[in-house]
Amino acid sequence: MQRLFGWFVELDRILKGEATRIADLRNASIQLPVRGVSFVLILLGMLYGVCMGCYALINQGNNMQMLASAVKVPALFFLTLVVTLPSLYVFNALVGSRLTVGSLVRLFVATLGVNLAVLSSLGPIVAFFSVNTTTYSFMVLLNVIVFAIAGVLGLSFLLQTLQRLHIARYGHPPQFPTTHAPRAIESLDAGEEIIQAESIETPAELGPLEAIEGRALGRRIKAVFTIWMLVFGLVGAQMSWILRPFVGAPDSPFQWFRPRGSNFFEAVVHVLRSVFSL
Amino acid sequence: MRSVLIKADDVLRRRRTTPTDGRAIWSLIGLIAIYGILYGAAMGSFGGLRGSGALQIVYSAIKVPFLLQATFALSLPSFYVVNSLMGLRRDFSEAVRALMATQAGLSVILASLAPLTLFWYASMDCYSDAVLFNAMMFTIASISAQWILRDYYQPLIRRNPRHRWMLRTWLIVYAFVGIQMGWILRPFIGDPSSPVQFFREDSWGNAYMVVGRMLWRAIN
Repeated sequence: MQRLFGWFVELDRILKGEATRIADLRNASIQLPVRGVSFVLILLGMLYGVCMGCYALINQGNNMQMLASAVKVPALFFLTLVVTLPSLYVFNALVGSRLTVGSLVRLFVATLGVNLAVLSSLGPIVAFFSVNTTTYSFMVLLNVIVFAIAGVLGLSFLLQTLQRLHIARYGHPPQFPTTHAPRAIESLDAGEEIIQAESIETPAELGPLEAIEGRALGRRIKAVFTIWMLVFGLVGAQMSWILRPFVGAPDSPFQWFRPRGSNFFEAVVHVLRSVFSL
Repeated sequence: MRSVLIKADDVLRRRRTTPTDGRAIWSLIGLIAIYGILYGAAMGSFGGLRGSGALQIVYSAIKVPFLLQATFALSLPSFYVVNSLMGLRRDFSEAVRALMATQAGLSVILASLAPLTLFWYASMDCYSDAVLFNAMMFTIASISAQWILRDYYQPLIRRNPRHRWMLRTWLIVYAFVGIQMGWILRPFIGDPSSPVQFFREDSWGNAYMVVGRMLWRAIN
């Protein structure tokens, strides 16, 4: 329990931008316990899946869908990463970036942390609408919008952090006061004292999405990551289509997967049509 | 009793004398409950005091503060996360206090309009006019509460201009959830031609889809 709390504190540090301060990125990697934070991410994904599955529970009396969505949401993110990361790593190395496998993994765990934190924090709203909405297409659209918001915030975190890692590596003096020294992960179990100590220690607060002036990222590295983000978005969207149903149409019976066919974008256009033509 | 009135006055005059710790939040929640109940009771009195009319008064008295608090609670988690991401975590508790104080102000303003609502009920017995009048009171209260919000948020925005964007985002999310919350909590006033009940059976639905359908029908 104590450890779980510590992991949530870690995730909170990512959200606050403390994990990605230049001073803490000195050895060109984000310091975070990968396994612990990943565990928290799975929990958050399951939480959102449960919120999503509320629709089927209320409209079909079907609690299997809730279970299925709780499994599928974390799986969606994990599988999308599995599909897209290898090519990113290869091209990344090809254009001369110095990110190692380990620091790349930590970067992505942090990015997913932002993504899933935003997603699950919108979960209560989605659950609320799921409980009292009968229109299926409205729910699908709401979920797509929520995923899009979370995705945009997550990916802008990725780009900013990449920039910061670059600045940290090539030794640009930070232009804001940070009196905080890098500290060991082991000391994190005593989460609360650290938070209190920090709020006194650091005079300037810098959000994780804020741009820092400094040496710009290499053009090619930036291009690789931009293309990758596009691919990640496309694969993620289509992955959600392969793993469907998440929401569960009220007129079809529960099934774990639906037969292959069509694609995400066609389906969204279809849903948009059915919402607006009513 | 006296302290409830003084607290309400503090909120209206944007005094910062209230304690700034956790107790401030609780006293604001208390204010929302007390003044929300007052307006809710007035709102539900359309059907009269006798018989089942009294029941509607009790229901509406519960529903008005619940509407405000539940909408707030649902919108809070995402506000917290996005504030953190924007680097505004240190101001978060102050921001929450500002939003809470605004809601408390909204309920105080509503409560002050309650006598007008009662007066309206006493002079007119048309149900749809009553609905319209209440909508007007809510609009007046929401617009007036913006003064309180602006004053409380001013120091935050001065400290970091990004608070302005956060506030706009908050208002959008709050309105989005609040409209639906108001929709499913119907009836607030109580149509005299239908029996008194806590939830209306046909109220389960999506406000946006209903409005969309109405618009669609109007266009065609």
